[in-house]
Amino acid sequence: MPRRLQIGGATILVLVILWYLSTTVFGLIAPGRFPSPQATIDALGHVLFRGYAGGTLIEHIFNSLRLVILGFLVAVATGVPLGLLMGWNRTAEALINPVFLIIRPIPPLAWIPLAILWLGLGDSAKILVIWFAAFVPSVINTYAGVRTIEKPVLEAAAMLGTPRLRFIREVLVPASSPMIFTGLRLSLQASWTTLVAAELVGAFYGLGRVLNVAQQDLYPGMILVGMIAVAILGWATTKALGKLEMRALSWNQAAALAGRG
Amino acid sequence: MGVIRFDNVGRVFGSKAKPFVALKDINLEVSNKEFVAIVGPSGCGKTTCLRLVAGFDFPSSGRVLVDETEIRRPRPERAVVFQQFALFPWKTVYANIELGLRNQNVARAEREDRIRQILELMNLEPYRDHFPHQLSGGMQQRVAIARAYVLDPEVLLMDEPFGALDAQTRVVMQEELVRLARRNPRTVLFITHAVEEAVYLADRVAIMTRAPGRIKEVLDVRSIREAEKWDSYEKIEDVMDLESFVHLRTHIWRSLREEKAAAAA
Repeated sequence: MPRRLQIGGATILVLVILWYLSTTVFGLIAPGRFPSPQATIDALGHVLFRGYAGGTLIEHIFNSLRLVILGFLVAVATGVPLGLLMGWNRTAEALINPVFLIIRPIPPLAWIPLAILWLGLGDSAKILVIWFAAFVPSVINTYAGVRTIEKPVLEAAAMLGTPRLRFIREVLVPASSPMIFTGLRLSLQASWTTLVAAELVGAFYGLGRVLNVAQQDLYPGMILVGMIAVAILGWATTKALGKLEMRALSWNQAAALAGRG
Repeated sequence: MGVIRFDNVGRVFGSKAKPFVALKDINLEVSNKEFVAIVGPSGCGKTTCLRLVAGFDFPSSGRVLVDETEIRRPRPERAVVFQQFALFPWKTVYANIELGLRNQNVARAEREDRIRQILELMNLEPYRDHFPHQLSGGMQQRVAIARAYVLDPEVLLMDEPFGALDAQTRVVMQEELVRLARRNPRTVLFITHAVEEAVYLADRVAIMTRAPGRIKEVLDVRSIREAEKWDSYEKIEDVMDLESFVHLRTHIWRSLREEKAAAAA
């Protein structure tokens, strides 16, 4: 096992021991405020096998994960092309930028009431809210990526007589891809944040719903289970995206070094 | 064919209120398969001259012609080698060289053939599947030269191609370029601020004045090189030791120093 992982594992182990000591053994924290490890495991068993807030943990996870991935993909599929267009075409930039300047200061979560009003408590409202949040980082970073391409590289492509579609596919996109991936990572984070928030406000399923119901039931163990589940899923999806990035950017020395560290 | 002609070319940058005259009354003809180097103090507009021929920039007055046709856009017939190499870092050496051929719809078998030849000529075969960042600067510039040469361009435009290389690598590259240029002559416009490099490589050397850049004089190196049989020497230092070489170099140095002095005055 690499040294980094060993140290990380040790840190978590110490935290768990401290948690156990301060709750179960010494009772420094009241069980009504923060659950003990045992209460958390009980809650985990509860939601895993008997179900809670309308479904089992697997169903909640599946639902949240599905919405995050869908919303993220829709945001990326619209955001990256728009960023490329804005970076490449002055007219497009001039047309679209003012809209962005108006929309950007609105926190994505502020769209939730409107989304629910339009589309109800179902999936489409969640995807719309995720789109509002995840779209912006994809656009901005892709745009910045295009604008930072070194001019000689573009001139070299022109000098070689590269036709437009091939230019986009083989020059514009790969040249901006380090920044595009930065945008994707931010978009993914934004997707999780907004999904959980949207589910907190109103949902039939999902980890946010678990958190919301557990709060109303005064059930700290279940709240912690929900939080840990979100953390693990967020970490796993970010990790998966990082793997993809390392494969796509294997040509990039900086990225390769960062991936190794 | 590949005849470059600057016809009273001027280039003005900046706004109407604050114009900066980069080039003024440039007249120069580079004949077919001739190697012309432009030297001049930094900021004299020599790179602008090259960009006009490449089609990256356009004259404010006058005309730049290749084979009596005015230049409207970059074309593979006018291949460029950039100072900072400008390779595609996400493509392998092979794919970098291949792109221009693919753009010209050269069949795969012929592409492989031509790339193999150029890799061999440039001593790049062991690196065909490497990415640019895995190569030294000299190797990268070799790839960039191969990428331009493989297109069999009428005109080769080189913008201080060895400026970013260390002194030793630079000498090796100069020798190789001479070898390449004698073996497969092209019309070459070569921009440099290194006087020795210009004298060693070029058939003629054009000396530019400081901004607004004009062509001050054009020296015929070729006749001297042929009379003194420079090409019979394999190493650059042997050529640089010849009296005829020293004489030319000193002449250009003096000419450039006058420019510096004028700039300081």
